[in-house]
Amino acid sequence: MKSLSKIVMVIGVLLSSINSFAQIKNAKTETVKIYGNCGMCKATIEKAGNVNKVASVEWNKDTKMATLTYDSDKTNQDEILKRIALAGYDSEKFLAPDDVYAKLPGCCQYDRELKPVAKSNDAGMDMKSEHTNHNHNEMATTKTADDQNAPQLKVVFDNYFSVKDALVKTDAGTSSIKAVELVKAIKAIEMAKLSTEEHTVWMKVMKDLTANAEKIAASKDVAKQRETFALLSKNMYELAKASKKETPVYYQHCPMYNNGKGANWLSKEEAVKNPYYGSQMLTCGSVQETINNK
Amino acid sequence: MNIPINSKIRLLQAVFILLCSQSLFAQKVVRYELYVKDTLVNYAGKEKRAIAVNGQIPMPTLTFTEGDTAEIVVHNQLKESTSLHWHGVFLPNKEDGVPWLTQKPIEAGATYTYRFPIIQHGTHWYHSHSGLQEQIGMYGSFVMKKREDDKTFRKGIDDLPTVPIILSEWTNYNPNNINRMLHNANDWAAIKKNATQSYAEAIREGHFKTKLTNEWKRMLAMDVSDVYYDKILINGSNSPELKTVDGKTLKAGDKVRLRISNGGASSYFWLRYAGGKITVVANDGNDVEPVEVDRLIIAVSETYDIVVTIPDDGVAYEFLATTEDRTQSASYFVGNGIKQLISPLPRLKYFEGMKMMNDMMKMNGDLDDMGMKMSLNQMDMNVVMYPEITGEAGKKTDHSKHEGMNMDNDPNRYNANALGEIKTLNYAMLKSPYNTTLPKDAPIKELKFTLTGNMNRYVWSMGNKILSETDKIPVKKGEILRITIYNNSMMRHPMHLHGFDFRVINGKGEKSPLKNVLDIMPMETDTIEFLANEEGDWFFHCHILYHMMSGMNRVFAVDDYKNPNLPNKKQAYNKLQRESNMPHFMAQNDFATNGNDGEAMFQNARWSLGTEWRLGYNDMHGYEVETHLGRYIGKMQWFMPFIGFDWRYRKMGIDEHETNLFGQKNEKDTRRAFSLGFMYTLPMLVNFQAEVYHDGIVRLSLMREDIPISKRLRAGFMVNTDMEYMADLKYIINKNIGIRTHYDSDMGLGIGLSLNY
Repeated sequence: MKSLSKIVMVIGVLLSSINSFAQIKNAKTETVKIYGNCGMCKATIEKAGNVNKVASVEWNKDTKMATLTYDSDKTNQDEILKRIALAGYDSEKFLAPDDVYAKLPGCCQYDRELKPVAKSNDAGMDMKSEHTNHNHNEMATTKTADDQNAPQLKVVFDNYFSVKDALVKTDAGTSSIKAVELVKAIKAIEMAKLSTEEHTVWMKVMKDLTANAEKIAASKDVAKQRETFALLSKNMYELAKASKKETPVYYQHCPMYNNGKGANWLSKEEAVKNPYYGSQMLTCGSVQETINNK
Repeated sequence: MNIPINSKIRLLQAVFILLCSQSLFAQKVVRYELYVKDTLVNYAGKEKRAIAVNGQIPMPTLTFTEGDTAEIVVHNQLKESTSLHWHGVFLPNKEDGVPWLTQKPIEAGATYTYRFPIIQHGTHWYHSHSGLQEQIGMYGSFVMKKREDDKTFRKGIDDLPTVPIILSEWTNYNPNNINRMLHNANDWAAIKKNATQSYAEAIREGHFKTKLTNEWKRMLAMDVSDVYYDKILINGSNSPELKTVDGKTLKAGDKVRLRISNGGASSYFWLRYAGGKITVVANDGNDVEPVEVDRLIIAVSETYDIVVTIPDDGVAYEFLATTEDRTQSASYFVGNGIKQLISPLPRLKYFEGMKMMNDMMKMNGDLDDMGMKMSLNQMDMNVVMYPEITGEAGKKTDHSKHEGMNMDNDPNRYNANALGEIKTLNYAMLKSPYNTTLPKDAPIKELKFTLTGNMNRYVWSMGNKILSETDKIPVKKGEILRITIYNNSMMRHPMHLHGFDFRVINGKGEKSPLKNVLDIMPMETDTIEFLANEEGDWFFHCHILYHMMSGMNRVFAVDDYKNPNLPNKKQAYNKLQRESNMPHFMAQNDFATNGNDGEAMFQNARWSLGTEWRLGYNDMHGYEVETHLGRYIGKMQWFMPFIGFDWRYRKMGIDEHETNLFGQKNEKDTRRAFSLGFMYTLPMLVNFQAEVYHDGIVRLSLMREDIPISKRLRAGFMVNTDMEYMADLKYIINKNIGIRTHYDSDMGLGIGLSLNY
């Protein structure tokens, strides 16, 4: 019992050794300007600058002036301002990294007066154009499908590749949207216009193809989508072997998927980008076959 | 940081006999005098020993022009021997600077002259090849300029202003201590890096099963590097600035060529630039076709020549070198004005890495690439740990959605790199501007090396043989050596060849790039080839200092070279072998309320002489000492047969005796016994030990030490067939001290201070 209480005591001493009150020694105080907007900025700036017992920062959102108090033996103004810049806020000494600034909440996106006028805010532009793109995209797909000159199956392949790309990015939402397109494209095929070879294979795979594409479209779970995609890819492979294409298609293999049973897919590029694992194991896999029949 | 060199003893002077004036045809002798001396430095808050040359760290940059003759005089003012190796430089074997292989060590107080013609150009470096001196300051740039009339002179690249840069790391620990800690699986470095990967952390991140599988497969927590450093240095400082080159102030539009050497002892560095893309123009001193990337990793001892552009006036752009484990970095600010920072690389996702490793590791310790043919750094498995690429799902998804939509009608949309945003250099992207093919008629000698090793005992080898277990590899002068290297170990290794550049077979055919360091990641297979046209004994080794010192080396003996420096080559080679398998010592003792528990071990790559003791404070508790001499067998070193001697004294009551699980009795108070036995590491890193004593008594035991419960908390247990058992808990305070509590069937509950060396 006695030794037990000893243990408790030692552990107690150990844990409580984190002193509560921070007093900065060799204190030096300076005032510098730090660019920012609002109360949220204030919290971020001060949090980034503060180091227990070494540095403390107080920023005024009206004057944009910060009071730095720090232990001059242990740190200096540059170190503090660098930390604040890395949190997204410019000062006379440091400019924040662009990607960090871009990630600041909207209200905190202060004017970057110190930055040379150049290409900034590119990221913001993309966001706004999102809506128009949706419509544009659908129209374009329909248009291509109607195009008599293009090989009909190309549209099916293109949409298949879109689904694959979405899976590479482990993006269930986009996969589903793309699969809807794929279903549309499959249904739009006019069998009479297919070559004899294509026609034979088409008859064979069409039912499965549609079913699997619909399944992916209906699912919001990327794991399920991938399972179905493995089946879908088998059908597409048969189709690829039979159809004519302008550019080669690569039949690729991932040995790890499905507990080592492996799975295949088609790609327009030789470089492997694995749709079964996505970024988790992006370049896992190898090219099995290059399908090149013009 | 303007305090590197303490002026305790002022150093003498660097004497430049000749300045590098641009005379094109005259054969010049360029002479440098180097004074090597102990010094004290304060890079990271503490004054520590280092080695300075001509009063500086790094060593002075040595500059030559192709066609010169180098004459370098080394004055060894240390209290120990030294040497200098000219990394990547073609020279007669006796000038190569490897003690006991190409020369005798330069003894304390001695002066030694290296003299060799400069027959190539490019960015190289030089360093000590003696012990661990490279870690504490003995590295410097070695630049050989192209002659302006050289037909390979590239306008717009070779005429740019250039700056030599040497990267290095600093640790406040004595490197000998680091070496010992690595061999003793001390995980203090992991604690400092917050990379313990304990059970508590695993559970918090939802990776309990991953951790369990990892230990089941007998792996200790892995990191991408093993040593914790206190500071990263660029030309000897943590954040130097480059405002002018050759007296000219840098301005918008200027291009600067950085000649970067990685002089770090064990760190790889990510190189990134806040001012835009990086153009790689040379690698390991050899020109390559310019290639534009966002970032590259520079392996230990590699060199890269890169060109960066200054986009705007009034801004200094950060060039950031971050260690591969992302715990430390150094900045180089290029330009004048306000400093534009680049965002630091986010922390590694260790458990993702652990999961990946689990998938690749077979139960027998071999790696399984699952049919993926990996080579040339193209497939970086570590990418699973990089948040900037494999990122937080939510954000990435959003982003890719936009791109997908925008690009739906772009015919090239499938060509875009799915990683898209970040382009990383790999060896398959390097292409020589020149034809590098070897003579067609030369005989070819094919060699295969498998890189092997294990983390638990920090033994690194090739084909499971360390240098002291192999002879030199004989090669005929004029032969082509074609070497296939497979990395079957869990760490990456920068393999360096002395005296030659080799071609890396990377799919560029005639224009395969030339290198002298090949970084090879786990599971990769690469092929290199070179013409062995210079006789002598050439070192081929892993350039991670602590791997090299563990014996991951080979020697190619091209013809029977008579080295005037080494009249007795056999004896010299024995010394080299010995130095690459030095024994290391460890000891620990727990001063507890119920007795002393401890052990001491003296080990090298294969042998272990260890003694364990349990000393109570009275006769009833007893005193016990067990000594074992054993040899580790196999690549993973899970099996160790041993011979042992036990001594024990314990006062037992009248008629009291101990009976073990097998009904064998031991009635003596004092027991002296010889034993034969073995130890085997079971899954979950449990040590199974079986021992039979000369009197027929058998003892089996199971033991596990250092179960990482949380960042600093370790647990352990032991049970044996003598019905003894023990369980303990230890809280690690620092690298040498812990607080430990344990319950022992002999001695009861105790708490104490655990010290280890």
